[in-house]
Formats: sequence, C-alpha cells, structure tokens
Amino acid sequence: MKLNALQESNINKSRMSRTLIYIVLFVFVIYYLLPLYVMMINSFKHLDDIRSGGMLNLPSIWTLDPWKSAWSSAQIGIDPSGLKPYLWNSILMVVPAVFISTVLGSLNGYVLTKWQFRGHGVVFGLLLLACFIPFQVVLIPMAKILGLLGLAGTTSGLILVHVVYGLGFTTLFFRNYYAAFPTEIVKAAQIDGAGFFRIFWRVLLPSSGPIIVVTVIWQFTNIWNDFLFGASFADFDSIPMTIALNNLVNSSTGVKEYNVHFAGAILAALPTLIVYIVSGRYFVRGLMAGAVKG
Amino acid sequence: MASLTISDLYKSFGAVEVLKGIDLSIEDGGFLVLVGPSGCGKSTLLNTIAGLEEITSGEIMIGDNSVAGLHPSKRNIAMVFQSYALYPNMTVSQNISFGMEMQGIDKDERSKAVDKVADTLQISELLDRKPSQLSGGQRQRVAMGRAIVREPEVFLFDEPLSNLDAKLRIDMRTEIKRLHQRLGSTIIYVTHDQIEAMTLATKIAVLKDGCIQQYGSPYEIYNNPSNMFVANFMGAPSMNLIEGQVKKVGNSIEFQMTSSSGENVSLPVSDVKGLESYIDKLVVCGIRPEAITDLELLTNNSNSEVVEKELLVDVVEPAGSDTFAILELGGKQVVARLNGNSRVSAGEKIKLIFNLSQTVFFDKKTEERIR
Repeated sequence: MKLNALQESNINKSRMSRTLIYIVLFVFVIYYLLPLYVMMINSFKHLDDIRSGGMLNLPSIWTLDPWKSAWSSAQIGIDPSGLKPYLWNSILMVVPAVFISTVLGSLNGYVLTKWQFRGHGVVFGLLLLACFIPFQVVLIPMAKILGLLGLAGTTSGLILVHVVYGLGFTTLFFRNYYAAFPTEIVKAAQIDGAGFFRIFWRVLLPSSGPIIVVTVIWQFTNIWNDFLFGASFADFDSIPMTIALNNLVNSSTGVKEYNVHFAGAILAALPTLIVYIVSGRYFVRGLMAGAVKG
Repeated sequence: MASLTISDLYKSFGAVEVLKGIDLSIEDGGFLVLVGPSGCGKSTLLNTIAGLEEITSGEIMIGDNSVAGLHPSKRNIAMVFQSYALYPNMTVSQNISFGMEMQGIDKDERSKAVDKVADTLQISELLDRKPSQLSGGQRQRVAMGRAIVREPEVFLFDEPLSNLDAKLRIDMRTEIKRLHQRLGSTIIYVTHDQIEAMTLATKIAVLKDGCIQQYGSPYEIYNNPSNMFVANFMGAPSMNLIEGQVKKVGNSIEFQMTSSSGENVSLPVSDVKGLESYIDKLVVCGIRPEAITDLELLTNNSNSEVVEKELLVDVVEPAGSDTFAILELGGKQVVARLNGNSRVSAGEKIKLIFNLSQTVFFDKKTEERIR
C-alpha cells in the first residue's frame, strides 16, 4: 500500500513537470513564430490597413497585390522589375556553388580519412582554419583574385567565392563522417579490384546520405543568405536575392511599402524554408550521426 | 591453390619497426595460423601479404611468383576481415559479386557463381538482404562467400571469429575447418586466440614484437615450446612455469622446488643434457597442467616416466570435465588437472602424479629452452 502511494505521487510529480515543460515550450513556440506571423499577416494587407496600426490584427481586406508587386513590379534600384530576376540570379549562383562545394568536400573527406598521405593532418587543420576566417578579411584579396581571373562581377565569380569559402565546412562534415566509416570496407573493395573513384562512387557515396543532406542544407542556407559577398562582388546582372531585397527595403525615395517589403522578405526566405521542411528530419539525423560517431 | 613463401620480411612505419625479418613458408593446401598477443605485428604481416601495406624489404612469393608491387586485386588472394567489411549499401549477392563485376565478368556468369557459393554456405535465402538485416554469423558467412567466389590461390583471414559470441565462434571454427578440408586451399589465418590456432592449423607461427618465436605444427608448439613466451601463450590453462634449482644427487640430476609449506619437492631429470651446465643454478621448469594429475587420469602410457608427490591444494576449480587444483610451488601458482569426478577440497593434501616425459626446462635469463 505504502509503495503504491509512493508510486502515485511519483506519477503525479512527473505529470506536473511534463505539463510545465509543455507550457514553457508553447510560450517559446509563440515567441519564435510571432515575427513570421506578423510578416505573413501584413503582407496580405493594404498599405492603409498597416498604417492604421494593429500589427497583430488580421487584414480587414485580404489582398495579393503586395506579393505581385514584390515579385514582378516593385522598384529595385533603378529597375521596376520586382524580385523575380534576382531569384533566378540566386538560384544560378547557389545551385552550382552548393553542388561543387559538396562534391569537393566529400572527395576531401574521403582522401583525408581513407587515403591518408604524409601531412594530411596539417592540410585538414588549414582547411578547418578556413571556417574561422571572418568574411571581411578576405574581401580585398578575393576581389583582387577575381579581377585577375577575369571573374569580377560575374555569377561564376560568386560561385568560386562561395565554393572556396564553403570548402572548409564541407570537408569538416565529410571527414568526420568518413572517419567513422570502417576502413576495412575500403580495403575489401581494393582487394575486389575497385580503384580510387570506383570505391568512392560505389561504396562510400551510397552510404553518405545523411551527411550529404546536412552539407547541402548548410551550404544552401549559408550561400542563399549571404549578403556581404553578394554586395561586394556582384554586378548588375548577377545581384542575388538578398541584395535585391535590401535594395527594395532600403530605397530612400517614395513611400515605404511595408506590405511589399514583408512579402519580399518572405519570398527571399522561402527557398531555405522549403529546403528545411523537405529534408529537416534528415538534417537532424545527420547531425546526430556526426555527433555520436564523429 | 599455391604455396606461400615469405623471406626476410621487414616492415616499418616511420621509425617504428613492426616486422623484423619474418621467414615463413606454407605448403600448398596448408593452414597457417599466425598467433600472438595484440600489437605483435600479425595483422600487419597479413596486410603485407594482401598488398594492403607496402613492405620495407624482403620478399613474398605466392606460388612461384613474387608479388612485389602487385596491386591487392592482382595477387590472387581473398581476405576475410574481422569486421566482415561487407558493403553496407549492397545486397548480399551484390556483395559477393562485386569483385567479379570489377573484373568485368558478365551478369549471367556472375549470378551463376553467386548461386553456387550461396549454396555451399547455405545463404541462398539471404541473397536479397542488406548486411544490416543479417546476424553476426550470417555476415560472417557472406564475408566468406565473397572470398570463396574469387577462387583465390590463398585465403587470408584476419581474426574472423573475434566478433562472434562464444558459442557461434566454436560453430564457425568447425565450419572454417570443414571449408578448408573441402576446398583444399591454402589459408593464412590471424588470431590471438590460441585455441583457434591449435584446432585449425596445420602450421602455427607464434609472433611477438615482430619476430617469429616459433614455427611448427600445433603438436610441436604445444609439446616442445622453444621459449617461455610460447610455453606461456599456448594452451589454456597455460603451462606452469616453476622456478627451481638444478641439483646433482649422486649420479643423477634433480630439479628442486619449494612447496608452500616450505618443504623441498624434487623431480628427477633424465634426458635433458643441457641441464648439466646449470647445476646449482636457478632454472624454470615448464609443465603442462595435464602432466600434473591424479591417478585416475593418468593414461597408461608405459614409456611415460612418472613420480608421485603429496602436495597441499590451495584452491579447487571444478570445470565439469576436469577439476583444476591450484597449488603453490617454487613461489608460483601451479595448476594441476584432475579428474572431473575428483572429490578434492581446498586445504587438503593429495597425491599428484608428475609426468616427467612432458616437462621442459628454460634458462631463467634468456627464457630460451634448455635441451
């Protein structure tokens, strides 16, 4: 009897603490979602509606005009083009940059763990260092090199910058992942007669799903959200989304169309959001794999 | 099928010398077991044979051909790894046929070979599974299948059973032996388990610190260890190594040790000529547990020379088929192997038979055998 009472009180206690945890979590969820809510709600309002105050109120008249304007007709810099062309610029830059940096990172990780050479530790250390160099430090040398290569102001130039800068991270991810991959399997493949690339392609890469997802998400978000490199190295025809958004929001002439700004900001954030929603669970899984085994 | 000859093999990693002049040869169809404690270089030796490690100097011949500089896949070997090393993303049949695929053998032939091997190893129903869906023993079989399908001249096994649980390990051990008998192939097998070594091998090489301590048949290694390391390493429970003095009594030589109660126990020594130069010096006497036994267990071997002594038993460890009595001699724990039905209890004095024809002597300093 006594034991039962004790058990009951324990159950009650755990129930209480559980409720408390959920309340705290709920408060945080609201706290984090509030900005998104404000952006969403206000992007569907007419400008007058916003001016009359009540940021958290639902629109009195729902409208898609701010979205249309942000997408195709808002004044960005000197062109009334909307964000549409810049989205394309961003995609042209992000997709190759993510692809190339991920491929190179996985090859680096493969060599640094399974085909170790004298001084591999130093090479890896230097690559790691690249993760810690602040963006601002490399701006001027990078500008010089882009100029020398004739890539200044081009999308290819931006891709190069992002690949170089991302290589440290992608290498780190893949190296740690492959370090946990049994070397005996690589040896077995060697005995089976597979060469360097064959082993990589047929044995290692098919087992790298989680870490590829992690790397792609990481690179995609970072490159998509980058502002500094875009602002420094892009020309009129290669300006990425983030810079265009800034140009939209920071225009000093005319009326501040907050509803259009909100819609534009959501448009700019949408691709990363989609990537997270689509592959988010793999992301967590991959991070865990790295954490436990790395 | 081919023989394997290794001569004067050296291997260093930077400044560290791992293999120091290995000379070995195993005949066609032989089963060579490399055994030794961890870090003795046995796996490195196997990797050099496979071509996964480059050698510093020396020569390795498979059949009549030197394999120097040959890629692992060109050496006509197959290897089974400790962790099985199955390709995690491929099915069992893809795992087995990957090597053939790399050689560009066409699909029909590949699947025929896979079926044949799967049949031999009784894994036909597993062919479409992924390695993660297999148990340890099944993975082991697949790993062996991947080796067999290559029809190599030499099989290399790198501690293939050490990841299995005790019962399965014994089953697989028998299976490997059966496989060897059926295929008649040359096998090089690395293990740190001396029982595996004894049961499987036709030849054993005991390694320590990159040197071969002794190379011979299991019988030779067990009964005629060439030094104290081999004597101690092989056999479970291991050989008793008792320190004592060589004395000349009249015309004969005796080996004297002190028992726990302080009295002298002496064993006559007849046919060890080398001992004459050790008179009044300390030597180490090696005697297997089964050579110290009670009357019932003594095999009626008319030519074995026996002495009977009465000694105090410290601890009794019944093990079913045998009972091990632990006593103290020459300041060391000594294990005697008694009949499993023995009713000895600790603290009792019992009569023990020493089988003198199974005793060996070692120099205390060099630890080498005195013959």
